[in-house]
Amino acid sequence: MKQKSLLLIVLTLVLSLFLAACSGSNTSTTPNNSNNETNGENTGNNGEETDEEDATTGEPVQGGDLVLGSTGSPTMFNPLYSADTASSAIEGFIFDGLLTSDTSFETQLNMAESWDISDDDLVHTLKIKEGIKFHDGETLDADDVVFTLSIPLSDDYDGPRAGYFEKIEKVEKIDDLTVQVTLNAVDPKIHIALGYPILPEHILGEVAIADLGEYTEFNTKNPIGAGPFKFDKWEDGQYVRVVANDDYWDGRPYLDSLTYRIIPDADALMTALAAGDVHYYTVPASDIATAKEWEANGQLKIESGLALSYSYLGYNLRNPLFEDKSVRQALTHALDRELIVESVMDGDGEVADVPESPLSWAYDEDVPRFEYDVEKAKAMLEEAGWTPGADGTLEKDGQKFEFTLKTNQGNKVREDIAVVVQEQFAELGIKVTPEIMEWSAFLADVDPPAWNFDAIILGWALSTDPDPSGIFHTKEIAEGLNFVGWSNAEADKLMDEANLTMDQDERAEKIQAINRIIAEEQPYTFLYYPNAHRAMPTNLEGFEFHARQEHYNIHKWWLDENN
Amino acid sequence: MISYIIRRCLMAIPLLFGITVLSFAIIQMAPGGPTSLMMDPNISKEAMKKFEERYGLNDPVHVQYYKWVSNMAKGDFGESLIRRGVPVSEMIMNRLPNTLLLMIVSTILAVIVAIPFGVISARKQYSLTDYTVTVTSFLGLATPNFWIGLVLIMVFAVQLQWFPTGGVSTLNADFSILDRIHHLVLPAFVLATADMAGLTRYTRSSMLEVLKQDYMRTARAKGLKERKVTYKHGLRNGLIPVITIFGLMLPGFIGGSVIVERIFAWPGIGLLFFESAFQRDYPVIMALTVISAVFVVIGNLVADILYAIFDPRIEY
Repeated sequence: MKQKSLLLIVLTLVLSLFLAACSGSNTSTTPNNSNNETNGENTGNNGEETDEEDATTGEPVQGGDLVLGSTGSPTMFNPLYSADTASSAIEGFIFDGLLTSDTSFETQLNMAESWDISDDDLVHTLKIKEGIKFHDGETLDADDVVFTLSIPLSDDYDGPRAGYFEKIEKVEKIDDLTVQVTLNAVDPKIHIALGYPILPEHILGEVAIADLGEYTEFNTKNPIGAGPFKFDKWEDGQYVRVVANDDYWDGRPYLDSLTYRIIPDADALMTALAAGDVHYYTVPASDIATAKEWEANGQLKIESGLALSYSYLGYNLRNPLFEDKSVRQALTHALDRELIVESVMDGDGEVADVPESPLSWAYDEDVPRFEYDVEKAKAMLEEAGWTPGADGTLEKDGQKFEFTLKTNQGNKVREDIAVVVQEQFAELGIKVTPEIMEWSAFLADVDPPAWNFDAIILGWALSTDPDPSGIFHTKEIAEGLNFVGWSNAEADKLMDEANLTMDQDERAEKIQAINRIIAEEQPYTFLYYPNAHRAMPTNLEGFEFHARQEHYNIHKWWLDENN
Repeated sequence: MISYIIRRCLMAIPLLFGITVLSFAIIQMAPGGPTSLMMDPNISKEAMKKFEERYGLNDPVHVQYYKWVSNMAKGDFGESLIRRGVPVSEMIMNRLPNTLLLMIVSTILAVIVAIPFGVISARKQYSLTDYTVTVTSFLGLATPNFWIGLVLIMVFAVQLQWFPTGGVSTLNADFSILDRIHHLVLPAFVLATADMAGLTRYTRSSMLEVLKQDYMRTARAKGLKERKVTYKHGLRNGLIPVITIFGLMLPGFIGGSVIVERIFAWPGIGLLFFESAFQRDYPVIMALTVISAVFVVIGNLVADILYAIFDPRIEY
C-alpha cells in the first residue's frame, strides 16, 4: 500500500510536467544575451540635479526594497578597476561623481557646484558642493578629487580606465572645495574623466597605487563612497544589497534598500520576474513578447526606448573580396534590413545607416543610404567584374565569391541574421557559410593581430559621447578595435579635428561629415538599433528612461502604496 | 585491506599530476584570455599588457605551470584574475557548502526513491507496476535537466507559488532551516531525477539477476516468505553492482550540477566553474579541475572499498 501511494505521487509529478509543458508556458531555451554588447563607457553615475517631471498621482513616499535582476555577477566595487556591467551598476549606487549626463546625454553638474573652463579649454576648475559626506561620515573635499583623478595618471596604475584620463597633465587642489585640472591637449570627452566616481582618500590614500586593484578590504568587503546608497552585504553568487544613505547630498533615496539579485540563467530570471522574486529587469529582446503578456495581465509594467547601441555586419577589408567599395554597397543593397527588423527582431528596433544613435546630438538623417534592391545589387556586382560561373556562384579572375560569416553563440538574433544573410546573398550567387562561436573564442579570432575572419555580425554599445575614432580611426587598426581595417585619410583628419574642440556644434558638424563618409564607404553594413525594455512593478514611480543607464536617478524612484 | 587502500591512494598521485598537466595545456590552448573580454575603445592595449605582466600571463606555459604547481603544492590556489585579489580558495569555500548540500540531499532522494522502485520492478517483472516504473525512469533519463527545472519553476514557483524560483534562502531574511529546505526542494528534486532513473534501472536489472540465482531458490525452498527472500538475501547481493555505480556517480555531481545550479541561481561550485570558464579565470578553473579530479579518484576508491565490504568474494 505504502509503495503504491509513493508510485502515485511520482506519477502525478511526472504527468504534471507534461501537462505544464503543453499549456504553453514560457519555457523557451534561448540562451542569454548578456554578453552581446560591449561597453563603450562606464555608467557609474547616478545622482543628478534636475527636478522630477513624472506624472505621478501622489507624493513620493519612503520605503520598500526593490529587487533588481541581473544575469551577471559583479567582480568588485572600485570603478577604476572593474570592467563589467554588474559591478558598474552597483558602483553607481555606492559612488557619485562631480558631473553626470542627462537623458539626452548633455553633461550636467552633479556633486560639482560649478565647472569653469579657461579660454584655451585646457584648464578646468571644479568647485565641489559643500557638506557632501562619504558613507563613513568624512567630508568629501578637494583632496579626494585630486586623489581619485590622479590614480589613473600614475605609472603604477594597472586598471583598465586610463584611456579617459590620458589628456590630463596634472590635478591640483586650489582650496578645500576647489580642484584645478590642467590638460595637455583639448579633450571634449574630458567630462567623463571629471565625472568619475570619487573615491575616499582617507581610506585608500595609504594603499600603494600598484596594490589598489587587489585591495579587497575596500573593493569587495567595505566600499565607501558618497553615493545615494550604502554598501550593506554581498552574498557571493546570490545578491548585493545596498541601503539608503540618509545623508545623501541630493536627499535621502525614497527606497529603503536595493537588492541586486544575480540569476545567471536568463530564462530563470524571467520566471523570477513573473513570480515577483525580481522586480526590475532589463528584458532581453528575445523575451519581450512574454514580458508584454505579463504587462497585459497587470503583473508589471514595461518602459521602452531606443538602446544606445547598434548591430552591424562587418567586412574584413584585408580580404580582396571586400576591397571594392561598390561591392560593399551592393551587399548592403542586397540585404533586406527592414525584413530583419520586422521578422528576426519582431519589429523591435530601427534600421541603422551610420555608427551613431538617433538619440545623440551628433546624429544626422542626411547620409547616403542603400535601400533593399536586389537588381541594383546584381548590376553593381556585375559592373565590379563579378559574373556568375558554371555553378551559379559569382566569379572574378577565377576567384569565387564565397566567405565565412562569424558571430557569437548565445545571441539568437545574430544567429538568425547570419541565416538571413546567407539566404539573401545566395540570391546574388554569393556563398556564405555562417559560423557560430563561443564569445571569448570569437573575440580572439576578431581581435588584432589575428583578424581571422571574412565577415562578422557584432554590435557596439555607444558612449554618450559620439566620437567615432575609437572604432574607425586608422590608428586603431594595428592594435585597436578597427578590426575591419578601414582607413580613410579625410575621415581621420575630421576625427582628429572633432576631438580638438569643446564646441559642441562644431563637433556635431564634423562627426556628421565623418558619418557621411562612413555611410558612403560601407566598411560595415549597418543593421539596426535595438530597443531596450525595462520591466518594473506597476507602482514604481519616478522612473525616467535613460538609454545608457539602467538605474538612472534611482534615488528618485519610489513605490506608490495606493497603487 | 589497509595496504590496498594505501596502494590505491599512492597510485592516485601520478594520475592527479597527469590531470593537472593536461588541464593546464587545454586551458592554455583555448582561444581568448581574461583580457580578450575587455573590448572597449577606452581600454588601451598598454593597460591589458600591464595586467598580463602583473599576473604572468605572458610567461611561457611551462613557467606558468611550474609557478602554479609549486604554489598549489603549498596549498595555495592563487588569486582570481577577474575578481582581483580574492583568493581562489575563499571563492571555492564560499560555494562548496551549497554544492555539497545539494549533492547530498539529491543523492539521498535518488536512493530513497530508486532502490525500492527498482526492487519492486524486478519482483513484479512484466507487471503493470514494472512497466510504469520502466517508462517513468526512461522518461526521467531522456528529459534534460534544464527542461524539468524550468517546468517545475513555472508550475510550482510561478503558478502555484509553493516554492521560490531560485536562490538558497529568502532575501534579507534571517537564517532558518525550514527556509533553506524550502529553497532546496526543487533543485534537489531536479538534480535527483536523472540519477533516480539510472539507479532504478541498475537496481532492477541487478535484482532480476539475483532473483534467478540458485541460492534464492534454496531460500524459498526452505520455506522463507517471498518478502524475506527478496529483501534479506536478494537485496544485499543485488546492491553490490549498484554501489559501484553509485561511487562512480560521485564526481559527476559537480559537472552535473552546473545546469541545475544555473537555473535555480544556486551559488555552488558548478556555477562558479561555469562563470570562470567563460571569463577565462585560469586560477579558478585549475583549482576546480584539481578538486573534481580528486573527487573522481575518491569516488573510485570509495566504490572499490564499498565493494570489498559488501562482496565477501573479493579478497586483497
